[in-house]
Amino acid sequence: MDEGTDMISGFNDPLQLLIFTLVINALAIAFGLLMAIELSKKRRSPPAGYVLLTPGAIALLCSILFESSILAFIGLGLTFWGALLLYIKPARHVKADLLDSTAASSLATISQIIADLDFRGKALYLPPRYLKEIKAGRVYIPSEEVQTIPAVEEVAEEKVFLKNPKGICLNPPGLGLANLYEKELGKDFAKADLNYLQNNLPKLFIEDLEIAEDLEINPENDVIHVKITGSIYQDLCNEARKLPNVCNSIGCPLCSSIAIALTRATGKPIALEKNEISPDGKTIEIYYRTLKEE
Amino acid sequence: MQFPLTFWDVSLWLAITAIILLGTAELTSPYYGKTRLTIERRRLRQVALLLSILFLITVVARIYGIITSA
Repeated sequence: MDEGTDMISGFNDPLQLLIFTLVINALAIAFGLLMAIELSKKRRSPPAGYVLLTPGAIALLCSILFESSILAFIGLGLTFWGALLLYIKPARHVKADLLDSTAASSLATISQIIADLDFRGKALYLPPRYLKEIKAGRVYIPSEEVQTIPAVEEVAEEKVFLKNPKGICLNPPGLGLANLYEKELGKDFAKADLNYLQNNLPKLFIEDLEIAEDLEINPENDVIHVKITGSIYQDLCNEARKLPNVCNSIGCPLCSSIAIALTRATGKPIALEKNEISPDGKTIEIYYRTLKEE
Repeated sequence: MQFPLTFWDVSLWLAITAIILLGTAELTSPYYGKTRLTIERRRLRQVALLLSILFLITVVARIYGIITSA
């Protein structure tokens, strides 16, 4: 039996053994992380997980060969933290700037089309019964400021330009996000109600998708007030604000995705009535209006 | 040649590591506004819970040992 094993067996006081285990673990993690940080400064360095895992495995093997408890604790700590770092590593990490730049140009294109056609009406998100596929989504922008709802048959033809009433029907920018919400929750919003969204969307936004720090949905008669705090789409929302016929009509992808979720759950056409952002840009408040069909 | 740690050494190691991980998982929760950490928090929580369960199993084994030896 070596010195390390003797040390362990010498701990009669459990508190001493606890402190010893803590110190050995902390030293193993600190040493491993220090090595990982130093190596990461170099180009093409291996991931920190492997840097901890390799000496950990060697220490574990040596602990068996030399029957050393200290080496076993070091090896166990390094191997475990190395494996953990590899396991909790995000599958894919995209910089927010990259995401914003990609989406901003699509929004600018929509804005250009609306401006060029001189369509002044507010966008209407159409419920699933207007659509052939349940996972599809359509947003209708009327040519005039008077809010008109097109007939189901007119929208079902899936044409972009509608004649009666005059307007355009587009795929909303938040359609992909709305479908992702349904996929994550494992529920078709068309088969749910507003209460379901109130109870489940906040958890999805905060915990599962980590889109925002907080989300509140408060229906008040035919107006639904949505408050989003600390959204990762903050910068994109600010970009969309520069395009008034997008921001106050169709909305940025995040506002659009919520509108789609609401129109699916309520089964009524939804219009984005008002969109406010706090001076620090952290809180976005959106007011959606549900419309009655004639 | 044998693994130098006893069952109780591993139990202690599990307890300490589980406490560290449970604390980390809780403090990095998005409910405290930590939405910009690029780690798989769900997996971190899973590992923390798994280690806690393993530690509790060792505790149950110890209790069982005490009862049967009495």
